[in-house]
Amino acid sequence: MATTAQINIASDIAPGFGGIIETMTLTQAGNIVDIDSTTGFSIRKLSATGAVDLVTMDDISNTVETKDSTAAKIFIRNIGYKGVIDKSVGVTIGVKAEPIGLLYGGDWMMMPLTGIDADDVTVNPATDDTVVIEYVMFYEEN
Amino acid sequence: MATTTAAVTLTSDLLSDNMSVSASTTCMKAGTTADGLDGMEYGYLDLITGDEYDLIGATPTASKASKLYLKNHSTDETYFIAITQGTQAIGRLYAGDWMFIPADFHDAAGEIAITANGGTNKICYALFHEGITKDASA
Repeated sequence: MATTAQINIASDIAPGFGGIIETMTLTQAGNIVDIDSTTGFSIRKLSATGAVDLVTMDDISNTVETKDSTAAKIFIRNIGYKGVIDKSVGVTIGVKAEPIGLLYGGDWMMMPLTGIDADDVTVNPATDDTVVIEYVMFYEEN
Repeated sequence: MATTTAAVTLTSDLLSDNMSVSASTTCMKAGTTADGLDGMEYGYLDLITGDEYDLIGATPTASKASKLYLKNHSTDETYFIAITQGTQAIGRLYAGDWMFIPADFHDAAGEIAITANGGTNKICYALFHEGITKDASA
């Protein structure tokens, strides 16, 4: 079965835009061998502003390390808290010190990662309200 | 209100039991629950090797709720696009890979930059946003 991800984007912003439906199979870098490792599916509850690591690259599960500059990917979703999803408040997702963008309530993202030590994935809530982030990372084991 | 929805289905057999996750979101303007993103830029092009290029040839409104989709449509599995934001390397999109991220564009240095590796890469991208400033004509 491997690891696959399908995206489906529909929009009526531009007349005639037919949408996007694409599927990718997550493979290792530079070949068609399936990607072989994952952090597993996890959640992280945040209740205060301030950037913290969601994934620390040299400490994944305290047992393995990602191979650098390969084909790692991470899926992250802001699932709100106790069933309440606030689309007006977000969590800034970053890599190291670089903010990638704000993930508002209910929003999800999928992005590649370098896996390099110190290129950690960070999360920084906009408010002190409790919010839960769910995530799963796929990578090549070093 | 313009409506843009983004859905994903993620499956994997790397765990002891098969994992399947589905998620869908309606892309709203920053800080609102009633007004959707209303601008978009869409492109499909060849990306040649040798230089780093800004993906978006304009300046989206910073710190808003833009969403960026990018896919590497190359067919040679050794080809990849290196993704950088500011000076920070984010990761690589190999042939067939896609990404979908909230894009901050916090300042001029917050642009998403892409570099082709291996050969000319074919890419498709879409930026959904709530305002953009076109680059002035030279």
